[in-house]
Amino acid sequence: MTVTEYFTNIKDTATSIFEGMTITLSHLVRKPVTIQYPDRTPRPVKETLPDRFRGFLKVDMEICTACLACMNDCPIDCIKIVTKKDEALKERVLTQFDIDEAKCMYCGLCTEPCPTGAIHFTKEFEGATEDLSSLLFSFVPENQVIIPYKALKKEKEETVNA
Amino acid sequence: MPEFRTEEMLLNMGPQHPSTHGVIRFVVKTDGEVMSCAVPDVGYLHRSIEKISEQATYNGFMPWTDRVDYLAAMNCNVAYAMAVEKLAGIEIEKRGEYLRVISMELNRIVSHLLSVGSVGMDVGAYTPFIHALRDREKANDLIEELCGQRLTYNYARIGGVSFDMPVGWQAKVLAYLEDLELLMDEFNRLITGNKIFIKRLANVGVITPEDAIAYNLVGPNLRGSGIKYDLRKDEPYSVYPELDFEVPVGRGEMGTLGDCYDRFVVRIREMDQSISILRQCFAKIPAGEHLVKVPKKIRPPVGDVYIRTESTRGDMGVYLVSDGSDKPYRVKFRTGSFTAMSIVEKASRGLMVADLIAFIANLDIVAPEIDR
Repeated sequence: MTVTEYFTNIKDTATSIFEGMTITLSHLVRKPVTIQYPDRTPRPVKETLPDRFRGFLKVDMEICTACLACMNDCPIDCIKIVTKKDEALKERVLTQFDIDEAKCMYCGLCTEPCPTGAIHFTKEFEGATEDLSSLLFSFVPENQVIIPYKALKKEKEETVNA
Repeated sequence: MPEFRTEEMLLNMGPQHPSTHGVIRFVVKTDGEVMSCAVPDVGYLHRSIEKISEQATYNGFMPWTDRVDYLAAMNCNVAYAMAVEKLAGIEIEKRGEYLRVISMELNRIVSHLLSVGSVGMDVGAYTPFIHALRDREKANDLIEELCGQRLTYNYARIGGVSFDMPVGWQAKVLAYLEDLELLMDEFNRLITGNKIFIKRLANVGVITPEDAIAYNLVGPNLRGSGIKYDLRKDEPYSVYPELDFEVPVGRGEMGTLGDCYDRFVVRIREMDQSISILRQCFAKIPAGEHLVKVPKKIRPPVGDVYIRTESTRGDMGVYLVSDGSDKPYRVKFRTGSFTAMSIVEKASRGLMVADLIAFIANLDIVAPEIDR
């Protein structure tokens, strides 16, 4: 290394550091981009999420048709639906609709085939828990049955009868 | 001065090491600071994704392709979808193709930002890494708005993509690209042109063009050695033939051809090309369906197909065998990180331990992609 090279190196280093420092210092007058999650965000994070956000799954039992499409399409079998023929009501009823959100990988393949949009994503995503079983969501209360939604079929029958 | 007897030491770098970019172990043979070789221990992060495919339906396997290369999940999604479509003879609409290219190029920006940022971090420049992550977050927000997830996108479907663009999304992306150009200028001033950084990377971990071909390197690692080979140009797929873009290659600007700096600069320039591709896509995207109707249970005819796409880490191949049932008989992924591992043993001879970190970061390996 010649003497000129030595001094050029020192000069280059100094200018490089100066150039970098001007950018770093310019951040003193810029607005910070850091978000103080979770307690000091300007708005709750849930409100800032886009509509297509894939949070916890939720089932609207009033419009569930018990077609089992979501259960069949789930690639990891985290949805469990049990139906039976109710003797008193003389129709097929839902006795169990469980989603294991701890197993779920939030791929969204279950929401796509749903004919009524009953199974859908919410913007809920804060699922940290000490007990995994608390993430097992049951949408049919224990020892109860839910009659699946089938309004379309009835309307059709009525028009046929009329 | 008396002669000291020195011994070679066999050391483990990793599996849990902040600079190995995932869980991967290197067995380092070193005498002091200079290594005689570093051997990567491939297989630690094996998750049997290829085996899982045999139990999942064609559609149901899509979320797993996210996990092959979690930094460029769009590319994996699309590569797998393309393989199934080719085997089943499904034609997808132009709008679907454009949406795929838009999402893939946005994903390329996301992935390259993390890559160039982490090169900086691994050689000791922490600020550029944070700046790159800040810009990456904004792109992640856009992708989240498009498909609903920030990392495991699961966006492509057999027959197109799952969602069309949301209202106002195009304007948001274009505004982001404007911002990104300014931010990249700042990033280049901060680190790419920084003399200390150049000295640190130039002439380190040189891969000659002959070696790059012999060791089957792909993507920016191959182009960093001066070889102009990009599947988007050389074996065009999707709508890439309609788009106009350059293939940046390393030129040995600051040292030897194929050194770490060349590979770094290739990634920076590829981001500029991705910005240009995205703008062209938004100008050209036609109206139409984003998803064509496909049978609910896809049963491709008996046969096999191999698809090659240019992922962020290079040639991503999907080999798909069908036995006529609704589940794949075999899915094999060919990934860029895996072949990049083969050069480590040769290139690390005579390298300093600290240079190995820079070299590995520069190869842009993603550990889950090595093992699948």
